[in-house]
Amino acid sequence: MITLSATATSNWFNKVPEVTLSFWVIKIMSTTVGETGADFLAVNAGWGQGLTRGVMGTLLAIALFMQLRTRRYRPWTYWLTVVLVSVVGTQITDLLTDGLDVSLYVSTAVFAAALAAIFSIWYWVERTLSIHEIITRRREVFYWVVILCTFALGTAAGDLATEALGLGFAWGALSFGTLIAFTYAAWRVGGNAVLTFWIGYILTRPFGAALGDMLTQAKTYGGLGMGAMWTSALFLTVIVMLVVVAQISIGSRTDSQIAE
Amino acid sequence: MSYFHSLIRPVAAVSAIALLVLAAGCSKPADTSTAGAAPNSATDPSGTATPAKKPSKLGDVSAFRSIALDVAASVDKGDLLAAKTRIKDLEIAWDSAEAGLKPRAADDWHVLDKAIDSALKALRADTPNQSNCKTLMSALLKTFDTLQATN
Repeated sequence: MITLSATATSNWFNKVPEVTLSFWVIKIMSTTVGETGADFLAVNAGWGQGLTRGVMGTLLAIALFMQLRTRRYRPWTYWLTVVLVSVVGTQITDLLTDGLDVSLYVSTAVFAAALAAIFSIWYWVERTLSIHEIITRRREVFYWVVILCTFALGTAAGDLATEALGLGFAWGALSFGTLIAFTYAAWRVGGNAVLTFWIGYILTRPFGAALGDMLTQAKTYGGLGMGAMWTSALFLTVIVMLVVVAQISIGSRTDSQIAE
Repeated sequence: MSYFHSLIRPVAAVSAIALLVLAAGCSKPADTSTAGAAPNSATDPSGTATPAKKPSKLGDVSAFRSIALDVAASVDKGDLLAAKTRIKDLEIAWDSAEAGLKPRAADDWHVLDKAIDSALKALRADTPNQSNCKTLMSALLKTFDTLQATN
């Protein structure tokens, strides 16, 4: 087992992107696109929640399989997986809340505990939670399980803020945006990089949802009235452009590595 | 050089916060203006259906109520297929307004959501039962009325 992971390490490159501004932009926007897409299939296309869940779960399994099989970071595979994890994570919370009548207080607490447990196991097994060295399959599995959990937790916590505090999307965007700014500031003054990254990862889920709502919701509700379709089209265009840029720069980097 | 470099990120952070504050500041007057505008738009589509009733805590829900009225009319006529087609408009409109409506009064929103959901299920059953649909539609309309009356 130990020799196996050792050889795997030498053959693998870091499988996940560097954390840059474009990383966060894609991450926040993919939340909105994933959610509107799944909503469109379930309601407008009339698939219903059950079928949509099944299809999205299957697509996620396929994307995750491709992502785990690649030997190095490939932007489009990585971000496709993130979008689908975002959809499925949201669906898990919605199923618990709407389908099984689980209280949002309970699901928020359970997902937070689950996330803490997964981090503990990850650290106990690997002795690191570094996101810069996702270089073995085991670490990558930890990485994706954690990401799924952050999306479910982010959805539950965001919904709880709406339900319990009556937090609309304008105040939601402001509150979660401020918390993200604090997290960023904490990292700047020397806070733990891994911890602040994952806190930011959780917070960007409800922040992205509030931002999306701000654009999609009708002016009567204080939104910009762009509608789900145009908002998704706009976000999807930005995502595709950023991923294409990332894909091209990765391509040229590996070319120069080979040239060396 | 490095001095400027270390300055860029704090400046970016501060300007991001400033932007967020501005965004919230701008959206606040929009909120209050919509509260004022809601009764106006309410009188147009449903002037006949809901005369001079106070809007519910959810704000103006008359657009949803008027679709529900159409559905109920079709059910009464025994045209369950037309009712099923029309209630989808209610489902889509209700679903897309969730983020705007729910924070106003989450409890009221859930009461209405449940009522709409049961009516949807009844109309989408393999063999929809007219009297069952009728009961659920009148329950839904009553829910709309109670929510508007209690406020």
